[in-house]
Amino acid sequence: MIDFSPAEKSVAIEQITRPSLSYWQDAWQRLKKNTRAIISLYIIVFIAFFTLFGPFLWQVDPALQDLNQVSQAPALPKQALLSAAYIQWQRIVIQDFPAEPDSYRDQVYAPKSLRLINMATTQGVRLSWNPVVGAGGYNIYRNERYPEGFNDLGLPLGSTYAGNEIGYEDRLGLEPLTYYYSVVPTDGFDEYEVYSVLTVTPQLTITVDEAKARNLVSDTARPGDVISLEFHPLGTDYLGRDMLARLMEGARVSLFIGIFAPLFFVLFGIAYGGFAGYFGGRLDAVLMRFADFVVALPFLLFMILFKIAFGVGPGESGIIPMLIALVLLSWPATARLVRGQVLQIREQGYIEAARLLGGRDHYLIFRHIIPNTMGVILVTLTFAVPAAIFTEAFLSFIGMGVVPPTPSWGSMCNEGVKTMLSHPHELIFPALLISITVLAFNLLGDGFTEALDSRLRSRE
Amino acid sequence: MLISTKHLTKHFQLGRKQTLHAVDDVNIGIEENATLGLVGESGSGKSTLGKMLTGLLRKTNGEILFRGEPLPDKFTAKDHLYYAKEIQMIFQDPYSSLNPRMTILDIIGEGLRIQGSDHNIRDLVASWLSKVGMDPDHMSRYPHEFSGGQRQRIGIARAMIIEPSFVVCDEPISALDVSVQAQFINLLDELKASLGLTLLFIAHDLSMVRYVSDYMAVMYLGSVIEYGPSDEVFYSPKHPYTRLLIESNPEPDPKLERSRDVIPIKGEITSPINIQSGCRFSDRCPSVKPECRHITPVMTTIDSNHTVACHLYT
Repeated sequence: MIDFSPAEKSVAIEQITRPSLSYWQDAWQRLKKNTRAIISLYIIVFIAFFTLFGPFLWQVDPALQDLNQVSQAPALPKQALLSAAYIQWQRIVIQDFPAEPDSYRDQVYAPKSLRLINMATTQGVRLSWNPVVGAGGYNIYRNERYPEGFNDLGLPLGSTYAGNEIGYEDRLGLEPLTYYYSVVPTDGFDEYEVYSVLTVTPQLTITVDEAKARNLVSDTARPGDVISLEFHPLGTDYLGRDMLARLMEGARVSLFIGIFAPLFFVLFGIAYGGFAGYFGGRLDAVLMRFADFVVALPFLLFMILFKIAFGVGPGESGIIPMLIALVLLSWPATARLVRGQVLQIREQGYIEAARLLGGRDHYLIFRHIIPNTMGVILVTLTFAVPAAIFTEAFLSFIGMGVVPPTPSWGSMCNEGVKTMLSHPHELIFPALLISITVLAFNLLGDGFTEALDSRLRSRE
Repeated sequence: MLISTKHLTKHFQLGRKQTLHAVDDVNIGIEENATLGLVGESGSGKSTLGKMLTGLLRKTNGEILFRGEPLPDKFTAKDHLYYAKEIQMIFQDPYSSLNPRMTILDIIGEGLRIQGSDHNIRDLVASWLSKVGMDPDHMSRYPHEFSGGQRQRIGIARAMIIEPSFVVCDEPISALDVSVQAQFINLLDELKASLGLTLLFIAHDLSMVRYVSDYMAVMYLGSVIEYGPSDEVFYSPKHPYTRLLIESNPEPDPKLERSRDVIPIKGEITSPINIQSGCRFSDRCPSVKPECRHITPVMTTIDSNHTVACHLYT
């Protein structure tokens, strides 16, 4: 036999509860559901890491010029040959050949057996050829493609002014490319329309001393060794400075302005707007008219005038004047917003209740008014950050921002835009960083707006 | 008399030549442990009067006597701190009257904290939560987790926890639905009896006011036009406005309601800006006399303590 008896009732079972969430906990829960905002948050954390810890991980001086690798696109490190110190070029003059031709000739033959003396390196390309009978000198040309005719010899490098001087050294901006050298005999003034061509690919070299000075080799290195040059993962700019190091350094400038300018002007705006809103009346009217006056100032003109008035001396970066100008011009928006919020909250019943209970002004402000404006302030701050980054980038781009050599993303764009067609990486990387950062902050701001919107909060 | 007013007046200056007469020359008094119901249509100055009694609004003229002593002209935080133990208020909107960032414990215990009470705040809040019929376990929750009726109970607990002697209830039931209104009124009645409270009950629901209060004052355009014991005012109204107000109260029985012949009050309430002398109701009054338009009627006693301001009774 089985006896059935009613199960014991317990009150706890019948209660439906969910965890009680504070305003911020609730907002965080809803922000977490917003994928875009969370991805943006990760991106911002990554950029913060890139800015703060990047220079410790990638210890390259952003001002150091690598002249072997100027405007280098992102690539693996180049190989270079170590060479001994440069030896002065001795002109090659043969004694048993006339320097001046005995008589004028209509035609001469092209120089024969145009050849290299020593190895062709980026230190220098040394050429020699057999003397041409009837020549009173030679012109040397260099081209980056094979000459198609007499008028396509390329860059005139120089001349020798004697028929018996049959050697030339080229040291003009050599890169490890293939060059086509042409030698044209002259009568001393005019060229004969004949030429010989030699194809030369100089080997990238640096001297042992320079390699040691740049910490590329150990003390035991000998000329002839092949070494790797400095690695530039994101390439170099037009002065051979490492892009990655400059982007990190530039991020410090851009984000410093982007974070601190909004922080200062939002704090000032809160104090100003809160004061005006809380005390109201005539004071409020006067304070807000002054805010209107500041809004009416033309931003760009004021920035430029301020920068000129402030004067940026040698060795200064121009960051502080820009920060001050941004703070001076941007606070009224926050002040208006906070004033509006305070005016609205001031009339709420809980303020009157707290006043009736004997709460003083500072109690009402810090306990009731500020906590209730924090949501709006946070949203303003997240939207003010990308705006400030963008303003800094814009000002630096037009040359009114930071002063060279201080890098910022905007000034890097300015430098990169000049070589946009030949070396696009110098523009793309800083522009991409500006875009990603601004977008991430804006999406996060949208996420905050949605998460902190009191209308979306459950009332029951 | 616990609290009484003498020629209490509140004018709001709207620009240079416009004055809004929110409350004009009001003389009322409330006995200890009694409830005065204050009725009138929207804009008649009921809430302004209530807020002046608590010190939240500064009066323009007149006097408020509390236990025979005049209340300060302008309340400072110190005055509020001093009078908090005597005068409290229950607010109309249960949504805006609770800070959404504070827990129920903080909201109800706020008064004790500001007053620097030695009591164990948590225990006292818990006992008050059960007194107003809520679960003391809910004190760590936030206002948005409660319904309107529950929020209004929290509002009561906040006002009552420092045990005041006089409480202004500013339309506390107008935002609640009818079933919750009854619960609320019963709770208020219980508290009133157990704490020996004196209440000013502001509402526009006449039958509710009659049920709650011992005395009733009818306001029109900033002045009290009729005052007397609740039942007397309700069942034998003297002022034409009071009569119309009570007649427009709908009858629950549909048959009776249909057979009733109600004359609705004509027109809108007159603008309270720059009021001239004469009876304020004269524009809408069905039994207007020529002198009503020029001479402001004064309060005249009809019965023992039933007074009315109307030329019909002079």
